[in-house]
Amino acid sequence: MQHNWKNWLFASALGLAPLGAAADTADGDALNGMTWDQVVELAKGGEVNWFLWGGSDNINQYVTEYIGGRLKDDYGITLNRVGLSDTVEAVNIVLGEKESGVLDKGSVDMIWINGENFRTMKQGDLAYCGYTDILPNNKFVNWDNPAIANDFGVPVDGCEVPWSKAQFAFAYDTARVDNPPRSIPEILEWAKANPGQFTYPAPPDFNGSVFVRHVFYHAAGGVDNLLGAFDQAKFDEVAAKTWKILNDLEPYLWREGATYPASISAMDQLYANSEVSLTFNYEPSGVGLNIENGVFPPTTQGYGLIDGTIGNTNYTIIPFNSPNKAAALVLQNVLLSGEAQVEKALPNVWGAKPAIEMSRTSSDVQAAFNAIVVHPNVAPAEELAKAALPELQASWISAIEKGWLENVGQ
Amino acid sequence: MSDRMKIFLLLLPAMFIIVVLFFGGLTIGLMRSFNYMPVIGLTDPDFSAYISVFTDREFYLSFLLTFHIAFTSTVISSILAIGAALLLRRSFVGRGLVNFLFQLNLTVPHLVGAIGMLYLFSQSGSFARLAHEFGMIQKPSDFPALVFDPYAIGIILQYVWKEIPFIGVIVLANMQSIGEDYESVARSLGASKWQTFRHVLLPLIFPGVLSASVMVFAFTFGAYEIPAILGANFPAALPVLAYRKYTDVDLAARPEAMAMAIVIALLSAVMIYFYVRYSRRRIRG
Repeated sequence: MQHNWKNWLFASALGLAPLGAAADTADGDALNGMTWDQVVELAKGGEVNWFLWGGSDNINQYVTEYIGGRLKDDYGITLNRVGLSDTVEAVNIVLGEKESGVLDKGSVDMIWINGENFRTMKQGDLAYCGYTDILPNNKFVNWDNPAIANDFGVPVDGCEVPWSKAQFAFAYDTARVDNPPRSIPEILEWAKANPGQFTYPAPPDFNGSVFVRHVFYHAAGGVDNLLGAFDQAKFDEVAAKTWKILNDLEPYLWREGATYPASISAMDQLYANSEVSLTFNYEPSGVGLNIENGVFPPTTQGYGLIDGTIGNTNYTIIPFNSPNKAAALVLQNVLLSGEAQVEKALPNVWGAKPAIEMSRTSSDVQAAFNAIVVHPNVAPAEELAKAALPELQASWISAIEKGWLENVGQ
Repeated sequence: MSDRMKIFLLLLPAMFIIVVLFFGGLTIGLMRSFNYMPVIGLTDPDFSAYISVFTDREFYLSFLLTFHIAFTSTVISSILAIGAALLLRRSFVGRGLVNFLFQLNLTVPHLVGAIGMLYLFSQSGSFARLAHEFGMIQKPSDFPALVFDPYAIGIILQYVWKEIPFIGVIVLANMQSIGEDYESVARSLGASKWQTFRHVLLPLIFPGVLSASVMVFAFTFGAYEIPAILGANFPAALPVLAYRKYTDVDLAARPEAMAMAIVIALLSAVMIYFYVRYSRRRIRG
């Protein structure tokens, strides 16, 4: 009974899969040898089960209505959006299927993914690879950019395609805070001067984990010392400093650090209810939407840090055992189209940064993209980009999350 | 077809589900808990997952917390449910309506109730806002921590709210089928109201109370969603801890998650055994 929602999700995904599937396209190698027209022909009238983080209403709406609508209208493909609270849940389904011998009738056709979960998919040989060249819109992707060709330091190797870029930003309420802290050391001091006004979601929450990484970079004296493969000695040295900083900070946090918000949604609620005065997000445009929807006070202002904030690229991946690979490829191609990327960048839709090179798109698309007016309270992307920090390799990140739970979270 | 055969065939669908899904899942879980998971290259079974579960301090803290949640919720809801049933079996004006209201939240899902608790009892919830309105608190953190708190008050409140009608309905049906004749006899022979209740009614309704409260205990001990929503992040309830291991990005943590799930199942079986034995002796003995 305790996992009834999950069973339901699993059962419904399993139940949906065989229903209207036009043709079984589980054989990825066969698809890789086909022309795009042949792939589209196979995909028509079928359906695709896309598992993705479902914690944001506007993202869900964009996916179901805009993307789902285009798939239905142009290809007769039905898009089933399956919301997750953590991407690892979808990875677990694929892994469980592989274990029980479900090799060509999997329930997951596509996952929104990056970082550690991508590493797991590669580690377990769970991804369908080598298809990027048959996607017509692959021409918009700049695979020469190391920030695209590597997902948290792990080479993509044609096993996923980029979807959006994101960069971490903070937000504060101008009505309650005069001068917000603009660097990690300033945030630490500010939190001590304003007890109970700051907190961060407990890792492994995605955003909480990113905040801890910022502190980790600060403790290391800059990210340059941490790039490259995982280094245990280096990790131990920096981690000890990081846990000391965070443990010293703990008594000044919300609830004296006795507990931490379980997710970024919970922290946004605390901010919306004035329990804390700062919030942050890997998706800075959320500030504008939250103001428009009346969740955040209109006096909320997003901003970056002078010592930089972490940015990354996120991707979509097709599991090796997806029975609807053709439809999933069509979906990926639609996601990569200039029109879909511009729609996604609209501030009232989502405000996500395109992962494609806009300069390679048609002049109409470029004009539409250049005409986008960003919500005035969102931290400007150009300003954030001036001080962008890279992500670490995935093995660093899991070590940091684990270390936090053992040394700070207890 | 003989009757025996018929019964067997009629039970077959239910048994099929129990045997295949329950024992099938249990077997796979057991195999994984012994570090046997060929997909990620684990082919030599051992006990390392159990060792790391039992050497982790958080596991013991989580166990104590989970036991506290399950035990406290079960005892409070059983007592209040018996009290409510005693009142509801009498006839009074508006009894039908009160009975309906009493059972109403049986239909409300646990998750919805938990969100309701959050809205009402969090430090920026409805009661905190009321308290602020009347000048009793200055800022959210002045309001007592009733959710995400170390004593699991929010979780227990939620369970008590949800389980009182569950136990109450069973006990009430039980009382109504027993009738009041035994009690009348006891009263006519000079027993006090309390004696009548303690020595006549309670032993009669006890089997019903026991099976209902065992269900509540087993459910609250193994339930994930309420402690996940209303609980503090450390120590977390055992099911939350197991799920956290299960969703660890490191595949090597999966056996630990499975070992913990198996331990949860064994622990609740053992505790239910002792609970049933002890309470039988107390009431009947």
